[in-house]
Amino acid sequence: MQAVRLKIRMALLQIAEPGQSPQPHQQRLAVGIDLGTTNSLVATVRSGIAEALPDVDGRVALASAVRYHADRIEVGRSAREAASKDPYNCILSVKRLMGRGLADVQQLGEQLPYHFQAGKSHMPFIETVQGPKSPVEVSAHILQALRERAEATLGGELVGVVITVPAYFDDAQRQATKDAARLAGLNVLRLLNEPTAAAVAYGLDQQAEGVVVIYDLGGGTFDVSILRLSRGVFEVLATGGDSALGGDDFDHVIANWVIEQADLSSNLSPSQQRDLLGIACAAKEALTSEDVVAIEYAEWQGQLNRDTFDALIEPLVARSLKACRRALRDSEVELDEIESVVMVGGSTRVPLVRTRVGELFNCTPMTDIDPDQVVAIGAAIQADTLVGNKRAGEELLLLDVTPLSLGLETMGDLVEKIIPRNTTIPVTRAQDFTTARDGQTAMVVHVLQGERELVSDCRSLARFELRGIPPMIAGAAKIRVTFQVDADGLLGVTARELGSGVEASIQVKPSYGLTDSEIGGMLKDSFDHAAQDKQARALQEQRVDAERLLETVRSALQADAEALLTEQERAVIEERMSALETVRKAEDINAIARHIQQLNHATNEFAARRLDATVKAALAGRQLNEMEG
Amino acid sequence: MCVANAVAAKASVCSMTNTEYADYFALFGLQSGFFIDDKALAATYRELAKDAHPDRFVNASAAQQREAVERAAQLNDAFQTLKSPTQRALYLLRQQAELPEETTIEDGEFLLQQMEWREQLEDLQEQADLAALAEFVRELKQARSAIDHAFAICIEDSEQRIQAERLARRMQFLDKMFYEVRQLEERLDD
Repeated sequence: MQAVRLKIRMALLQIAEPGQSPQPHQQRLAVGIDLGTTNSLVATVRSGIAEALPDVDGRVALASAVRYHADRIEVGRSAREAASKDPYNCILSVKRLMGRGLADVQQLGEQLPYHFQAGKSHMPFIETVQGPKSPVEVSAHILQALRERAEATLGGELVGVVITVPAYFDDAQRQATKDAARLAGLNVLRLLNEPTAAAVAYGLDQQAEGVVVIYDLGGGTFDVSILRLSRGVFEVLATGGDSALGGDDFDHVIANWVIEQADLSSNLSPSQQRDLLGIACAAKEALTSEDVVAIEYAEWQGQLNRDTFDALIEPLVARSLKACRRALRDSEVELDEIESVVMVGGSTRVPLVRTRVGELFNCTPMTDIDPDQVVAIGAAIQADTLVGNKRAGEELLLLDVTPLSLGLETMGDLVEKIIPRNTTIPVTRAQDFTTARDGQTAMVVHVLQGERELVSDCRSLARFELRGIPPMIAGAAKIRVTFQVDADGLLGVTARELGSGVEASIQVKPSYGLTDSEIGGMLKDSFDHAAQDKQARALQEQRVDAERLLETVRSALQADAEALLTEQERAVIEERMSALETVRKAEDINAIARHIQQLNHATNEFAARRLDATVKAALAGRQLNEMEG
Repeated sequence: MCVANAVAAKASVCSMTNTEYADYFALFGLQSGFFIDDKALAATYRELAKDAHPDRFVNASAAQQREAVERAAQLNDAFQTLKSPTQRALYLLRQQAELPEETTIEDGEFLLQQMEWREQLEDLQEQADLAALAEFVRELKQARSAIDHAFAICIEDSEQRIQAERLARRMQFLDKMFYEVRQLEERLDD
């Protein structure tokens, strides 16, 4: 509160005519950075106008490529162009490695020529002439280059930056991005989701109100977000997407079409493939303004017209629309509430994409701001707000959401969801758990991310132990597990035994994160497998019930069998127990339920006698715990 | 030492830690009751979030920033609680008296209805008929609306506490049905 009041006071004290911005030299220098897979940009707000900053040659896009020489480091286009002659020292597309473990990276293996080695905490290191480099360091060099460009252009040191990340970035990938910024000497004001940044870029100029869709089709990924804009507040209602869908797929379908038309073998060498994809990409770009384009490849010459191209990419566009409909359902807004659709990413220049998106949402997509720059521009506006350059009332507020559900492992390999996906952050949620066995003094807290019901189908984020729980009978301890996700989307987990106050916590910072295709796959799976999951969950629950009942009967027998049961009665109970033990391991839910009932039935009398004995003992003035003893 | 995985307690309470706001309705300037003005709730939430959000504290001390996260999280929780009709109903009940941790309130009448709906849903799954599914959703919405109206009356009358709890449980069941319908819609959307 204090800080806000102070900021408002400062704003009131600034002498500026309405509609006029404070003088440039009074501004605190802040920039927005779009740290992209292929290209990166830096933008800032100057004299009230947000713009991307060009390099000395007038180019705003910096190729996200780093080349290591023995004595220096080269960043940008020249580094990318050297990739074919110096593949091991030219690092491209490093964003795909951020926050990943060595095993994840090796899955990408074939596409990446680098020599990897495991570093501390499983982080993959790339071997270069300058020694091993982590993806975080490589990204830091790109950020450093952008920082130098900004400081040279703006003539001063940066107070802070806002860096954009895909909405789908998980905890590890966000942490890695923050680490890279720190390494580049940047003060990160906020990590901002890319689609949200795009909404900000449009929202400020137009003072828009209502529900807005951000359709972001990049080279390799597709993201969709649905936001509600209201008086400077941007509330993200839902996010979704398909992390294995992008403009590169358009190039591939054109390339395959050429192979088919030219009757070529599909076993092209890597360099032939690269050539063909280059030609396909050029054809795609030409078709945004032309109705037909001539293609030449090897001996083959032909023409690709817009209709054929549209037919080729139709299934790909349809996939993106499906993800849009899902996000729309998640957001719980009706189609007719959609005010506008913002297009982000170079692939939204394709006419069919614009047409189909316009049809689905029944409005003309907004394309005024360059789709390649819109994210950086939005980040710059938000950075400007965060360092306090905005006057009171002009400030923007972004209310973002968690992209995937967060939960923890419970008995029987099940995931208990604590924070469902698309929950507004920051968020704190607590849930109470208990011990499974008598005298249990420690508990494992296993934190998971994903939409599925079983632990093995979700991604493990972290695991820690709560120790020092006072020994109690099973089910008596009350352990409160609290999940907190902060405004950057980073998760912290605390477990606390309420009786004794023993506590353990972890700031979730795993050594690697989810792969893009895993996230996409996990979301898809949760819907495809819902029915199957329900079955699996029901089975596991029955098994857990069986295990609990067996545990209870076992300890009751141990305590009171001798005093309260005849040999024969005991034998009957034990027989039913072993029968339940056997069916518990099988897959038949009904059989387990039936045997639970039979064991319950067999122990009814025993339970009644125990209760009687306890009451008698209490009446006789004896302590209950002597009976339990 | 015996180490096992966490076991979900049957009495799992989904609650905020140290909730600061005594009364959610008062927080959002609303009259306490089941039916509320959704638009006013959302508008007030956004106004409050403008002051409470951690983005307003990026230049503050680490301790103040942590506090801001906590406060914003509490505000979000209060908003989500009132926004969801079912959560709002449970909140109203909890305000009057603690909800029993584990209960077996008899509701035979509704049990039959539940089984009928489940069967219908299973049939719909096999038919893959979107029109029939839409009709089913309309039926569920009607049922939901009737429950809501009945609850709004019961909650005002302390003698009808048991009935109010029963209605809240019906709401929870219907939420589950709506969730399953959503999943079915997703699967059919291919």
